[in-house]
This record gives sequence, structure tokens and C-alpha cells, in this order.
Amino acid sequence: MRELRLGRKIIGTLIKNSAYNPQRIILDFFALVARCGILLFLYKCVYNWKGSNINNTSYQVIAWSIFLYFIVSIMRPRDITDAIAQDVKTGSIEMILNKPIHYLSYRFYTTIGTGLYSFFILAPLGFLAMALTLGIPSTMTTHAFVLTCTIVGFLCIALSLIVHALLGVLAFWMEDITPVYWIVDKFVMVLGGSYLPVAFFPPVMYQMAIWSPFGAMQFITHTVYDSWAAKAWNMIGIQLFWTLLFGLTLLIVFRKAKERISVNGG
Amino acid sequence: MWKELKFAWYAISMNLKNSAELRTSFLMSVVGMALNNIAFIAIWCVFAKVVGNIGGWTVMDVVAMQGITALNFGVVFSLLNGVEKISLYVGSGSFDRFILSPKNLLSRVLVSSLGISAIGDALFGVICLGVYITFVHLSAINFVFMFMGLITSTCLLFAVMLLVQTVSFYVLDPRTATRGLFELFFTPTLFHGGAFQGWMRFVFTFIIPSLLVGALPVEVVKSVSWPQMGLMAVLSLLWLILAVKLFYRGVKRYESANLVTFGS
Repeated sequence: MRELRLGRKIIGTLIKNSAYNPQRIILDFFALVARCGILLFLYKCVYNWKGSNINNTSYQVIAWSIFLYFIVSIMRPRDITDAIAQDVKTGSIEMILNKPIHYLSYRFYTTIGTGLYSFFILAPLGFLAMALTLGIPSTMTTHAFVLTCTIVGFLCIALSLIVHALLGVLAFWMEDITPVYWIVDKFVMVLGGSYLPVAFFPPVMYQMAIWSPFGAMQFITHTVYDSWAAKAWNMIGIQLFWTLLFGLTLLIVFRKAKERISVNGG
Repeated sequence: MWKELKFAWYAISMNLKNSAELRTSFLMSVVGMALNNIAFIAIWCVFAKVVGNIGGWTVMDVVAMQGITALNFGVVFSLLNGVEKISLYVGSGSFDRFILSPKNLLSRVLVSSLGISAIGDALFGVICLGVYITFVHLSAINFVFMFMGLITSTCLLFAVMLLVQTVSFYVLDPRTATRGLFELFFTPTLFHGGAFQGWMRFVFTFIIPSLLVGALPVEVVKSVSWPQMGLMAVLSLLWLILAVKLFYRGVKRYESANLVTFGS
């Protein structure tokens, strides 16, 4: 209970801090325009040439799928890897370990708190821009969509945080975790449906996206397709499975990692 | 000029030796980055397979585009990695040490850092271009155009990076501003080149010159068009001149932070 109260405090303080420092939101805005905006224009051009349907999917659905990927990315759960790695490299982890909160919870809260402000500003703005320019697909207007999308979105962030925290904890054993981080990041990018929407995936790649944790971190991109209603609870189950498995692994690995800490004082 | 080049080479080799000291980390960074880049090839190859031929671009063209972009990026961000750090130097006040140096200011800044992971990009670029050359059977003239395309596009990438970093002298939070601007420029260079048509092609050639980094060099190699090559060279040169001029103008606005720093 006390940890939760502290967590709320950390998130609240970081949101206030972000509100006074608008640089981050500027960067996120540029990133959203550069990646998502230009990509959507490109797909628009491709659809103009190739017709209104590619692989039985309309531009509207593709665009929303890509948009949801980038909106979840604004929360930046990936940043936790670098934060943990820096704590380990600089030795500042020993100070945080003394706080009345579990180290991993502390890092989860700070990562969420840092990304939440941009998310609260850019997600509604982006949603509005998308709705006004492209309209909302019929698949997104059902009650089931709102419920399942919320659950999937929450699990996407939770799973991403856990997997990326696990990568960060590897810094206890590895000198430089960046290459591992890049490879995982690119697996998520490819199987999550960022530049290439899941509707375009060949069958083998689609199965990989469904059953691998990399795809599960971005299941939110599946929610706008017609087939979602039939698959929703199955996919939520897969996400839950990966979240629990990686959560447990993280706790075990972190326990082992703590044994390696040597406090030098000073 | 010769002295400056000699100094630049000395600084680069010292940086390389310094980085190679941590051998495992060095090798992992290089190999990791090369593997990491495969993702873009995978994405656009599947895209080309599903959507078909767009703007006359085949899967091999995408491989060549990724290769050229990675090689350009690798060269600029490994050997001249200091250009990426200008915003950091200006923001932290550690730019003073470059101004006080008796060497040429720009060359001193450029070779102040070596990007290890970018060596992996360059390696990946060479592999991609090797694959492209093997499968497409280029003629001698195609080779010449590829070489010229690589030089002009590397110049352009460097020029834009320098220009973006020059913004550091004019804004309060240089790191964020330069990262955002560079993202806006560089992200389209990784997209399928054939998909840029009409007004988007115009915008991303003349206003935000992203297509000059990877897509246009590929098209020049294919078409063996001297006017197109000339246009690329002229644009790259103009961006380079503009970037260097604005950099020196920007330096005049720099106010010393009296931060004492040592080292490279």
C-alpha cells in the first residue's frame, strides 16, 4: 500500500515536471510526425496507385493500426532499459536500493511518469486528427473494442516495461547491453506492425507475431482489424502469459543481480 | 590543409584504439548494429512482395538503398561522430575547449569522437551493396555512378547533420531540438524509395533532402543519368556550403560557460 502511494507520488511529480519542461513533448511531436505522419502519407500514395484494398485491407484500417503502434511508443517503455543500465554503470543503483520502495517498481513508476504527459497530450490530439481526416473504422465503434483495446493497451505497456527492464538488468553481467537492446527493439518493430502493418504479414511472420513476446508487446495494432472480435480474448491470454512469464523471470534475474552488487561507499 | 588532415587521421586512429580497448563491447556494438539493420530490409522486402512494384522499385533496389544509407550513416557517424555531439558540447558548455584549440575548429570538433556502432552500419552497408552488385550485375558505368552517388550522399548527410547541430547555437535546449530535427530528416531515408512520388518527392528532395541520402543515388545508378547526378552533386554542395557558413556564424553566438574540460 505504501509502495503504491509512493508510486502515485513519483508519477504525479514527474507529470508536473514534464508540464514545466515542454522539450520532451516537442521531441515526441517531431518523432510522431517524422515516423507516423510521413509513413501514413506514403501508404496513402501506395493505396492511391494500387486501389482501395491491398490484402483485403483498407487504408483507413492500416492507418489506424500504424497510429496505435506509435501512440503506445510515446509512453516510451523502452527507456527503462537505459535507465537501469545507467544506474548499474554509474553505481547510483545503490542509492535507489536504499529507498523505501522496490528498485524495479521505482524504475517502472519513473518510466511511466516520464512518458505519461506526452501521451496525455499527443494521444488525444492524434486521435482527433486521425478521426477528422480518415474517420473511425466500424471495428472501433463497438463496446467490445473499447474494453479489449484498453486491456490490450495496458498489457502492451506492462509487457514492454517488463521485457525492457529485463534487458536493463542484463547490465549486471554485460559490459554494453546496447546491441541486445537494438536487436530486441527491431524484433518488436518488425513483428509489432510499425512500418509494415500486420495485415501485410506473410502467414509465417503473422504466426510469429501472434506467438512471440515481441509481437505481443504491440498487440494493440491488431485491434482495428475485422478479425479482432473473434481473437481478442485469445490474444489477451497470450499477452497475460508472456507478462507473467517475463515478470517472474525478471524477479528471479534481479534477485541474482542484487547478489553481484558491491557497495564501495564514498 | 595537409596538417589538418594529418591531425584528423591521428585523432581518429587514437579514438579507434581507445574504443578497441574494450574488445567485447566493441565487437558486440559493431555486429549488433549490423544485425539490427536487417530489420529494415525485412520490412521493405515483405512490403514489396505484398504491394508489388512501386515506382519501378524492386526488392534489390530496396537492398541497395538501405546499403547506401547505412554506409553513408556509418562513415559520417563513425569517423566524424563529433558532428553529432555539437549540441551536447554547446549545451554543457564544453565547446570552449575546441575554440581555444590552435587547430581548425570544425575539423577539431568533427574528430573529437568515434561512433563505434556506426562502424556496424558501414559494415552492413558494404554487405548490402555487395549483395546488390552480385545479383544485379552492374556495368562499369553503373559502378562509377554508385561511387559518385556515395560521395555526394555522404556529403549531404554530413551537411544536414552539421546544419541541424548548428541550431544548438540558437536554442535553449539544443539536444532535444537537434534530435527532433534530425529525426524528421533521417526517418524518411529508411522508407521505401519508390513510394515517394509527386509532391512528396519534391518536398523530400528540395526542402527536406532525405531522398538524396539513399533513394536518389539508387535511381541514378539504375538510370545512369548525368543530369540527375549533376543535380544531386549541386544540391549536396549547396547544403554543405550553407552548413559550414551557418556553423561559423553560429559559433559567434556561443558564449563561454567557463567550464574546464580536458581530453579529446
